[in-house]
Amino acid sequence: MHRSIGSRVGRVAYGTLIVLLYAFLLLPIAIVVIASFNSGNYLRFPPQGFSLRWFRHFGETASFTRSFFFSLRLAAVVTVIATGIGTAAALYVTRTAKRYREFLRVLMIAPLPVPAIITGVALLIFFYAIHVGTHGAFGLVVGHTLICLPYVFLIVSTVLANFDRTLEEAARNLGAGPWTTFRRVTLPIIKGGVISGAVFAFITSYDEFSISLLLGGVGTTPLPIQLFDYLRFSFDPTAAVAGVISIVMAMLAVLVTERLVGLESLYYGRRS
Amino acid sequence: MTAISLRSVVKQFGDVTAVDHLDLDLAEGELIAFLGPSGCGKTTTLRMIAGFEMPTAGQIWLGEEDVTWLSAEKRNCGMVFQNYALFPHLTVYRNIAFGLEMRRVPRNEIARRVRSVLEKVQLHGLEERYPRQLSGGQQQRTALARALVINPNVLLLDEPLANLDAKLREEMRFYIRTLQQEFGITTIYVTHDQSEALVLADRVAVMMGGMLQQIGTPEDLYRRPETAKVADFVGLVNLIPVRMKERCGAAIACESTLGPLEGRGPDGPGAEAEGWLSVRPENLHLSGTDGAAASGTDGTVNQMRGVVRERAYLGSLIDYRVEVGPALTLRIQGGAEAPYHAGDAVAVGFASADAWFVPSEEG
Repeated sequence: MHRSIGSRVGRVAYGTLIVLLYAFLLLPIAIVVIASFNSGNYLRFPPQGFSLRWFRHFGETASFTRSFFFSLRLAAVVTVIATGIGTAAALYVTRTAKRYREFLRVLMIAPLPVPAIITGVALLIFFYAIHVGTHGAFGLVVGHTLICLPYVFLIVSTVLANFDRTLEEAARNLGAGPWTTFRRVTLPIIKGGVISGAVFAFITSYDEFSISLLLGGVGTTPLPIQLFDYLRFSFDPTAAVAGVISIVMAMLAVLVTERLVGLESLYYGRRS
Repeated sequence: MTAISLRSVVKQFGDVTAVDHLDLDLAEGELIAFLGPSGCGKTTTLRMIAGFEMPTAGQIWLGEEDVTWLSAEKRNCGMVFQNYALFPHLTVYRNIAFGLEMRRVPRNEIARRVRSVLEKVQLHGLEERYPRQLSGGQQQRTALARALVINPNVLLLDEPLANLDAKLREEMRFYIRTLQQEFGITTIYVTHDQSEALVLADRVAVMMGGMLQQIGTPEDLYRRPETAKVADFVGLVNLIPVRMKERCGAAIACESTLGPLEGRGPDGPGAEAEGWLSVRPENLHLSGTDGAAASGTDGTVNQMRGVVRERAYLGSLIDYRVEVGPALTLRIQGGAEAPYHAGDAVAVGFASADAWFVPSEEG
């Protein structure tokens, strides 16, 4: 009897904890979404009436749309570069590197623990010293790639650590050269990790602030910076609209990953 | 014609010598088993033939071609891996077609050859399954089909039955043998299971510590082992320490702590040679001590007395441990018709034709 009461109390407490946890995580998002539909003139909660006027305002403000599309293009380029380099680096460090493996691993993930603002300052000084990347988007691409690399590297490394290399030997044995083996066997099996890494890289680049603040310039202003500039002078719900767009993008990314990768691929290529 | 030739092949990993000056020739169509305990170099040798490891020294020939430095994808060896290494992202059909696609075989030709090999390994109807949807036995046969469909020059099997349950393992032995003969393909079969090697192979190569201990037919190995290690590794054996007294052709006379014993022996060791008489448990006969029933008949010249220490019932036969002398206990397996019990005094006999002299290592 005592035990069943005890377990019931435990279950209720556990359920409450979960509800609180989700509330803590999701409420700010819900508030941003609700605030974006505000018909009033200021970013505040609870909203005063419902309207889509701030969505229209976002779409009609050239500086916002320009920054939005710039951010998308930047994130796309950074994703391609970071995914390529990160995957290659993961392959090398997991398989080929011997004596310097741990050193290289730490080097690859170093941008993660170093504050992004420090990385940004260092890059800025460096670019000015060598007179490269001080104009246009080049500096932003390099900076964002640096920040995004560790995600791709870590995720692909994890998948590779579980990879059964006799699969590659089997492919070689059946007549596939090294490149064909990679394309037909290795890549399809680690695909899940590569795509997850790419999605992480994309979202990280799209949301990146500190580095963009330092390395962005005229005509190359990513959305978060544009938003920050805007909020300094006008505190209206357009900021919430930008937030909603970010949230929708993240959700789309998760859905796309889910469709492309699927849960089953997590079991691929495991050592038996 | 020689299908595979290993010439003084050496493989070292750092300071460890995995394979030590291995010489071996395989005839066309032969099935040879590499038998030995784990770490004896048998899998390393197989991997060198497949091209996954490069030898430190020596040469490997496939037919008329020196393939020592040829990369794996150019060797045309079919290999079945211990864990099968089926591609998890491809169906059974695509797994089997993989090797043909690499050879740029036309699509309809691929379809025809895959169907034909699927019939042979009795997997038709499972083409569209993924490897994880197959049973262990089906995965095994898929791996075999994938290796055979490319018409390889040699078939390499690395402990192919190790991951199957006991009953299936038994069936697959005969199945693999039949398939190998049907395709007439030169085959190397790596195993640590001596009964598998004896059942399957035309010849068995026993490897230990990176060196070839003995190579011969299963019967050679079982009845005429060259070293005590081989005798001990292949089947159950009793080793009775002896010193050779005299020999006449293959017949030898020895003395031992159990009295004079007679047996057969290899060419080479002469009088005074130290060694063992190896006798298989099923060739030792038990009888009661009251009568001399076992003596004289069927050439049973070697007689001794002992006491049954242990017995185990194995169904078709009984497994006895009989103490015949100080620190010498013989393992005897006999029919269940004349059961003895622990503590019984018995007579033990064996025919001289069933005892084989094995010289000690120093000799």
